[in-house]
Amino acid sequence: MTDKSPRWGRWWRPAVDDEVSDEFGFHMEMRVRDLVAEGLSPEEARAEARRRFGNLQDTSATCRALAHERDHHMHRPLRFEGIRQDVRFALRYLWRHPGFAATAVITLALGIGATTAIFSVVNAVLLRPLPFPEPQRLVDIHTNWRGNGSNVSAGNFTTGIERASVFDAVAAVQWSSLNLLDETTAERVLAARVSAGYFDVFPMTPLHGRVFTKADDVPGHDQVVVLSQRLWTRMFNADPTVIGRDVRLSGRPYQVIGVMPDTFDPTTEREEIWLPIAFTAERRMTHDEHFLSVFGRLKADVTAAQIDADLAKASARIVAADAQANQERVFAIRPLTELLVGNAPDRLRIWMAAVALVLLIACGNVANLLLARAASRQGELAVRAALGAGRTRIIRQLVTESLVLAAVATGLGLLIAAAGVRALVSLEPDTIARLDQASLDGTVFVFAVALAAACALVFGLWPAWSQSKSSVPSGIRQAGRGSESGRIGERWSTGLMVAELAVALVLLVGAGLMIRSVVALERADLGFRTDGLWTGRLSLPADTYADPARIVLAIEDLRQKVRAIPGVSSVAVTSQVPMGVGGNSNGLLPEGRTYDPSNAIDARLRIVSPGYLETLGASIVAGRSLSDADRRGGQKVMVINSRLAAAAFPGENAVGKRIACCEQAPDGHGPDFKTVVGVVADINWRGPGRPLSPEFYLPATQVPDEAWSWIQRTLYLVVRVPGDPLSLTEQIRLATRATVPGTPLFDVRTMDERRSRSQRAQTFNTTLLSILGLLGVVLASVGIYGVMAYFVNRRTREIGVRMALGATRSDVLVMVVRHAAVAVATGLAIGMALSFWATRLLTSQLFNTSPNDPLTLVLVSTLFALVALAATAVPALRAASVDPTNALRAD
Amino acid sequence: MPDMLHGTLEVLILKTLVQGPRHGYAIARWLEQATDAVVPIEEGSMYPALYRMEKRGWIAAEWGMSELGRRAKVYRITPKGRRQLVSVTEQWAKFSAAVSNVLLKG
Repeated sequence: MTDKSPRWGRWWRPAVDDEVSDEFGFHMEMRVRDLVAEGLSPEEARAEARRRFGNLQDTSATCRALAHERDHHMHRPLRFEGIRQDVRFALRYLWRHPGFAATAVITLALGIGATTAIFSVVNAVLLRPLPFPEPQRLVDIHTNWRGNGSNVSAGNFTTGIERASVFDAVAAVQWSSLNLLDETTAERVLAARVSAGYFDVFPMTPLHGRVFTKADDVPGHDQVVVLSQRLWTRMFNADPTVIGRDVRLSGRPYQVIGVMPDTFDPTTEREEIWLPIAFTAERRMTHDEHFLSVFGRLKADVTAAQIDADLAKASARIVAADAQANQERVFAIRPLTELLVGNAPDRLRIWMAAVALVLLIACGNVANLLLARAASRQGELAVRAALGAGRTRIIRQLVTESLVLAAVATGLGLLIAAAGVRALVSLEPDTIARLDQASLDGTVFVFAVALAAACALVFGLWPAWSQSKSSVPSGIRQAGRGSESGRIGERWSTGLMVAELAVALVLLVGAGLMIRSVVALERADLGFRTDGLWTGRLSLPADTYADPARIVLAIEDLRQKVRAIPGVSSVAVTSQVPMGVGGNSNGLLPEGRTYDPSNAIDARLRIVSPGYLETLGASIVAGRSLSDADRRGGQKVMVINSRLAAAAFPGENAVGKRIACCEQAPDGHGPDFKTVVGVVADINWRGPGRPLSPEFYLPATQVPDEAWSWIQRTLYLVVRVPGDPLSLTEQIRLATRATVPGTPLFDVRTMDERRSRSQRAQTFNTTLLSILGLLGVVLASVGIYGVMAYFVNRRTREIGVRMALGATRSDVLVMVVRHAAVAVATGLAIGMALSFWATRLLTSQLFNTSPNDPLTLVLVSTLFALVALAATAVPALRAASVDPTNALRAD
Repeated sequence: MPDMLHGTLEVLILKTLVQGPRHGYAIARWLEQATDAVVPIEEGSMYPALYRMEKRGWIAAEWGMSELGRRAKVYRITPKGRRQLVSVTEQWAKFSAAVSNVLLKG
């Protein structure tokens, strides 16, 4: 390339290689000229010049390297200067176009904020490790009998686990609800009885005082407690002198020895007080009551093979210790995090997917906004190109604009996320462990920034690429409307609109299915009448009610007193109500089967007063219910449910047959058989949609004495009150106080409340998904409005021409609506196809509703189509009201 | 010894350019003549020195028309380079005065 101008000045820079070879070439030429002038021949001169220069190659290389370094040093400030300029331009652009800026920023902020909020939850629940050293070594230990998991008995814990060799520490835990009395206040608190190793399995420095040692875990020396910070603050006003003081727990005095910080909640049960479990020697030999949760901290360097081998040895030990209780019983472990997390991954996956769809719609809207802007910026960019900005430079500037937009939106988005997290934490009904720890920490912040950058590239890169392609002359001449790239932009706009419609439909269908599922849950028949049923619990103190006869009398007395309250139609007492906490199960042996543990049927025990099944409104399908006739000393009877009847006596009538359970026969030989006097229809005791179990009902007058310890003397009072059950609470309390003084009623709820509580996870899921669905619809509608407004705007002149040529207002209206309707129909069709596949994700959360439920699909689609068409109404009407003369004059 | 020569070369180049912008060949010729060929200047060391000084900001380059009718890279001294020259000249004066003191006395 030859340039004729005499000076290029300092602004022209050749490439480094050219620079160096050029300079050396010049030098040689000059040298040759001078040598020739001194008298050498041209060839001699050239040879001499080369000789004098020295090592051409090396010198060249050195100079080239130096030149590159020089350029690097000099260009760095220039490069930064360029980026700073781009950012300044971008901010100025946003400032000068507030409508565009506000819409884009708010849309994107909503998307980023919602996604970040949900991610904070995922981070707290699934990603953050437990607050203990090396949490991956923490395991939950249980026993499996024929594939069914169960808790561990004290005997099995002592013989099996305490003697195992792969653990650094193990702990047995039993939870119960206890009355805590200090000088003036009495409260019912959730307590955990723990073995000495508990604070070794979960090491954390106490706030005050100390934790248990082995010495405390011995009967007689076990009257010490550790408080939680929450309880300490609430009951003792965070007074540090509480260490050493005595409190009364369910009648016995205990000394407070320590306080644990609020972050100490190893199993997310939120217990507030810890006491030593202090097994007696007798207890340590009992292998058949499986009530303990057991946790362990594995040694640092054990292999899976070593763990398996050690557990197998432990399982062998317990079978040897008590073959009857432990036949076919094996120990098994799983990571503690698995236990705590439960089914949260399924639910959180759905939340994440839903919010990701919302984010996609938001990005689609912003992309559309940028495309609409692109047409009007055609001229500006063309001028810049003419002034020498390379294509890369223009792309870089447009991408910087997108990044600046994303950065501003992230700022607002983080505020939205903070509010969102607070809302989630306060409204989520405690069904996901550790959700209350969700917060905007470092990880979440990094996620938000990365997300924003990704979005900026997604919606910014393509418009930037296409805009920079426009050639200079056509760009300058046609500033804006009617240009070729404008038309292509419109096609993309419509395409984006169709995509948004599809995505929003998928969201809506998901929400619709969840709503249907919740409705089905509420309508489900549980096998009894849940309305008008008052329930409450009371715990008889062990010292005054040691004698079972006394308990039976108290129950009878209580029933009579409550029955006398006006408004009560029936009363009963039970050890566990449907959807109530607690409960026990026993192995039942139908008569006729060999006395072998492998023939036992695991069934849930209910100790009941007469009239229980009638009060519930359950239906007896064979025989009779339990009555006052079933007294102590009389024929031992039980009522079973259909499921148990089918398992124990398949194909036969169970009434009159006998089943053994719960105790040895009075003569000491063999099991104690009870006669089945009735069969009741199955009751969904866990709540709608949950699995059923075999159940059996024993009269309170006839249960073995130990049974009262099994249920910790805690009973439910069940009262049928047609109308408003809770209105009689005070009177029932009075009756209770009169019958069993010093035994407060707690957990007072109607059965309907218990039912709602059992569904609260699904209800929350549905609410959240509905909110996200609504957000998606609103954003999509705004998007549709924007696209249609742009569409109409671009065609103003064309509409003017048509109207001038005789088109009526309704013709114009039809033209606009037809364009919209095609897009909407396409979008909905794609959306329906997508939802067939996407709603499979919801299957685990749906009750009685198929993921492809046609009714929901049709309803939702129709609703959405109407909303979408409504969104096109304003632009369509504006199109129809175009004044032809103005339109034609406009340019 | 090569180090001293190294630094000396750069100072000499700066001194040259104080008198006006020159291209690389002109600098080489001046150096040959000014030191009476006592200090042998190999092109191999001069050009790297020039590039180094350009990188450090003591000299700056432009492209101008040359005697041959083709473009050539022309160097000029920058304010930074002038400052460097002054500072080194002072140091040299101090150094040589001290050495002369020792060598020529007594």
